[in-house]
Amino acid sequence: MCALKLKVRSILGLGVIALQLACAWAIVPPQPVRPGEELALSTAQSGKYGGRLAIALRSEPKTFNPVTLVDGSSREITGRLNADLIHINRATQNTEPALAKSWKVSKDGLRYTLQLRRGVRFSDGAPFDADDVVFSFAVYLDEKLHSPQRDLLVVGDKPIAVTKVDAYTVAFQLAQPYAAAERIFDNIAILPRHLLLKTYEQGKIGEAWSISAIASEMAGLGPFRLKEYLPGQRATIERNPYYWKIDKEKKRLPYLDEITFLFVPSEDAQVIRFQSGETDLISRMSADNYAVLERDQQARAFHMNDLGPGLEYNFLFFNLNSVLPKGAGSVAAKQDWFRKVEFRRAISAAIDRDSITKLVYRGRATSLVTHVNPANKLWLNPNVRLAPRSADKAREMLRTAGFSWKQDGTLVSASGAPVEFSILTSSSNAQRSQIATIIQDDLKQIGIKAQVVPLEFRSLLDRVFQTHEYEAAVLGLGGGDVDPNPQMNVWLSTGSNHLWNLGENKPATPWEAEIDGLMKQQLSTLKVPARKRLYDRVQQLVADNLPIICLASPNILVGAKNKVGNFNPSILDPYVLWNADELFLQ
Amino acid sequence: MNSPLRRWLAVLVAIHFIFLFCGFFAPYDEAEQDRAASYAPPTKLHFVDVAGRFGIRPFVCARKEVEDSSGGYEEDCSHTYAVRFFVSGTKSHLFGVDAPGRISLLGTDGLGRDQLSRFLFGARLSLFAGLLATTLALIVGLIVGMAAGFYGSIVDTVLMRLAELFLALPWIYLLLAVRAFLPLHLSPEQTFLLLVTLIGAIGWARPARLIRGVVLSGKQRNFVLVGRNLGATDFYLLRRHILPQVYGVVLAQAALLVPQYILSEITLSFLGLGVGEPAASLGNLLGALQQYHVLTSYWWMFIPGISLIPLFLAYFLMANALQRRLEFIPI
Amino acid sequence: MRFLFSRLVHGIFLLIGISVLAFLLFALAPGDYVSEIRLNPQISPETLVALRHQYGFDDSIAVRYAHWLGAALHGDFGFSFAYNVPVTRLLGDRVANTLLLTLPATLLAWLVAIPIGVISAAKQNRWEDRAVSLGNTTLLITPDLLISLSFLWFALRTGYFPVGSMTSLGYEEMRWPEKLKDIALHAAIPITVLVLSIVPVLIRHIRATMVETLQSPFVRAARAHGIPRGRLLFRHVFPAALNPLISLLGLSIANLLGAALITEIVMSWPGLGPLLLESVLARDLYVVIGAVLVSTLLLQAGVFISDLLLFASDPRIRTKSAG
Repeated sequence: MCALKLKVRSILGLGVIALQLACAWAIVPPQPVRPGEELALSTAQSGKYGGRLAIALRSEPKTFNPVTLVDGSSREITGRLNADLIHINRATQNTEPALAKSWKVSKDGLRYTLQLRRGVRFSDGAPFDADDVVFSFAVYLDEKLHSPQRDLLVVGDKPIAVTKVDAYTVAFQLAQPYAAAERIFDNIAILPRHLLLKTYEQGKIGEAWSISAIASEMAGLGPFRLKEYLPGQRATIERNPYYWKIDKEKKRLPYLDEITFLFVPSEDAQVIRFQSGETDLISRMSADNYAVLERDQQARAFHMNDLGPGLEYNFLFFNLNSVLPKGAGSVAAKQDWFRKVEFRRAISAAIDRDSITKLVYRGRATSLVTHVNPANKLWLNPNVRLAPRSADKAREMLRTAGFSWKQDGTLVSASGAPVEFSILTSSSNAQRSQIATIIQDDLKQIGIKAQVVPLEFRSLLDRVFQTHEYEAAVLGLGGGDVDPNPQMNVWLSTGSNHLWNLGENKPATPWEAEIDGLMKQQLSTLKVPARKRLYDRVQQLVADNLPIICLASPNILVGAKNKVGNFNPSILDPYVLWNADELFLQ
Repeated sequence: MNSPLRRWLAVLVAIHFIFLFCGFFAPYDEAEQDRAASYAPPTKLHFVDVAGRFGIRPFVCARKEVEDSSGGYEEDCSHTYAVRFFVSGTKSHLFGVDAPGRISLLGTDGLGRDQLSRFLFGARLSLFAGLLATTLALIVGLIVGMAAGFYGSIVDTVLMRLAELFLALPWIYLLLAVRAFLPLHLSPEQTFLLLVTLIGAIGWARPARLIRGVVLSGKQRNFVLVGRNLGATDFYLLRRHILPQVYGVVLAQAALLVPQYILSEITLSFLGLGVGEPAASLGNLLGALQQYHVLTSYWWMFIPGISLIPLFLAYFLMANALQRRLEFIPI
Repeated sequence: MRFLFSRLVHGIFLLIGISVLAFLLFALAPGDYVSEIRLNPQISPETLVALRHQYGFDDSIAVRYAHWLGAALHGDFGFSFAYNVPVTRLLGDRVANTLLLTLPATLLAWLVAIPIGVISAAKQNRWEDRAVSLGNTTLLITPDLLISLSFLWFALRTGYFPVGSMTSLGYEEMRWPEKLKDIALHAAIPITVLVLSIVPVLIRHIRATMVETLQSPFVRAARAHGIPRGRLLFRHVFPAALNPLISLLGLSIANLLGAALITEIVMSWPGLGPLLLESVLARDLYVVIGAVLVSTLLLQAGVFISDLLLFASDPRIRTKSAG
């Protein structure tokens, strides 16, 4: 079907209107299954072909290039266009074969040999083999490209060595044993060598596949391929007719003809569009909006799901940095308090976590004692428990730590200075600002004057990471995986996300030294129960010493129209679209 | 002073007086939370008790959550609290009820804070931001305008080109951009001062141009020329002869600019670039309405916004009165 | 022609001054694009240092501005870090969308304001005039923000009008009359808000100018000649009052841009306003400067057009510039 397309282009206000004849909306049918194709079998319910799914994204993708992308929206779209060798199933949280149909680990745990599927084709029809894998890893490991994935592929300071054994066998050599090594293959998209080799040799792969790229210049191994991108409005992806998965009835996936991502900048606007029926799926909404939608679910034929706690943890932490900028003398003076573990414990005891879950998250959250969330059943240490809130206990701890109170109830330190500090939060995150406001009120009860300073997110990060000009802050960290490994750079004292004390070469306290040891040990321990014991101890140490005072972990709230089949949301990112290949419309 | 002017001035002074002493007129502190009453609707005042007896002193009923987990509230009139006037706790308030009762005549926000109190405190902040920014803009405008008009030639050219630069800017865009350049890690008090300075610093150009015009025509008048011939200093001439002539223009400008600058503060706070939690500003209160669930579920959150209309009306009428008076001044 | 030429030169100087101002201020701001990536636990510090270098954050301000200005003269307004596309491209679409609101709004506002203003002047101090003045004052003092929010509430409650964005899903498959209808439906609420926000200013000015013109001797003469009232008002008095109104056109565009910013943000219309807010918060350096420059350009274009009209309609200006 051809349509007349009105296109408004303009250069700096000088509008030029051009009429353009565009032929579109031909639906791509799935290719018939050929003999010799080693296809993966989906265990989901068989659906029917056809239809288009719409979902809103908070921001536009910054790129479609899986090598350089860093932001959530790009990952959401690009993740559907590409496939990895070994995948983490978002529902079971276990690894499963993807482009690699099987793999073997050498006895010393250092060599991984992956068998690739035969007969797999890219979305442009070109065949896939070991050369594509070797090429892809060469790109990810290229130092000049600064790919974010590179950090994961460097084990023990040495990059993973990737060699082609034969056309369908690839070997990965690690410098040291690496726990759960197969999990690192998740989300490493395999690139088409036939399209990108020349670009790579010209040193331009970083700019390739930008959002201005033409869809026909791109190809991937994911269930969908890019169809169209309209800046400021939407991106559409269409069926990859060569996708390597089939359902129980031997029908090639995916079922959907297309998925449209609408760019809707605010959460509230997303909720409006879901409610009016314009979008079919929704995730990442506040509990307040969830409640509004829940009231409507019968009338408007959609259903809302509360998946329980996710992996995000929100916490309060103090500036314990030993290196402070010049002119931050006031912070240095307050660090005498912050460094006292009794002080941090008193703060933790004074905070009403239940009010946070009730008021901020309308009960759809879990109060936390450590960073490991009850949802992470595999790794949770059940013996670390949250003590109930008690202002009296908090006062007692403060008294033993040498604090006292003035006549008017103001808490003063041993030297007589009133205890006051500021808490930074992100101004764009309404929920974290509310958390800080609640904490402020809680601390007022024990005579501490805390000031909430909502900062634009980037300025906040700048203060925490670079200038260290802050006293306390409320932040949240997420996790793409339940495994402890992605948490390494939070807990190692040299880690780049060791928020409370950055840029240290050696641990500042004995307990931090112990955590360092435990985390490193678990990384090269291969047996899960042994790793769990080590990680349990880490959790105990975190709960005792409170470098971060964990507060709450919001539930993952999602919704879908009733007509969406195989809807199986997960608490892991991406919550609703991870099985986009299996979704269908009834 | 003619009568409509006096009337509107009196109204405005009264309004500002209430907001200035918001701590007394508000039943609670702006930051005080009642965690059992998030988004509670306005408290009803009762005059007739359960037994059907009418009393002069109004009372309120206890509030309890509806038990169907919808998050709504209902009245529980088995517990009542009489409204008392001139209560004094830690601070004295115009009215209040005895604990554990709560009175929130305009409802509460998400953290259970009394919207009436937040409105009063927020209005104080927004109004005084507007007033101070106007003062600043007018002072700068006065200095620049008088200098340009009085000295003429190169001073005039440079200053007026600069003013044109500022006038040619879509100023709300500039305000937004400039606000983000400046540090955000500030206490509410510092943010307040920053906003005032910013709005004032961007807004001086229009009054400067007007004042220059008045000075230009004013300095040709006979008594100024005579004064100059008699050897008066520039400063003397400016202070004694020129300044009195521009008063009218300055006042009329002020009445026009104050609401405009109040709105600027509100806009910035609305967009999340103004004063932050827990301080209230009218912009913050309006900003809550950007949230879908607030806009559609809690009608009382609109009240602070709607109250701007009578406020701006008072300013508008005063500006009108001033302008009319200005036209009768023989120049 | 010298008049027009001098206006043009003037505009260019303004733009340069503004770009320097914007660039200087921006360079002083803390934080940058790379800081956001930091919270991703999978990125090493070396990667971050390299990214900083790649984006030129380590060069001095002067060097960065010189680079930018040089490129700007070739039509290249820099690069958006956040979107990874040239700024010109990003702004182009957004400006078109903003114009899609502001141009119809300007047109409609004038179409509404002229008859109301003229009639209100003709019926000076009678009930029609008082009614208009009452409604007008109410609108004038109601903040745009409040109008926008009320209309948003209305649209959400009734569901008569789609809210957010510019087109519905499935827009591409529509034939062009349907497309026009779809955009019009989406634009209806924002345009109404914009019209309501500028109409009162226009009416006030039109009425004032008309009242003044109505008192001039030629009108009295015409009236004495017995020219019908309606014909007199619209064919004779209104054209005579046109000149000051043409200057008002430029001014109304300035007002409109401010109102459009708020309306676009509240209604999530993909125009210049949301882009500016987003890039300000993201510290997307070149986009912010670009957006301020473009809005200045739009404003100046409005002024320039009204100058052109003035030039065409007023012989006094033509003779002055010829001489």
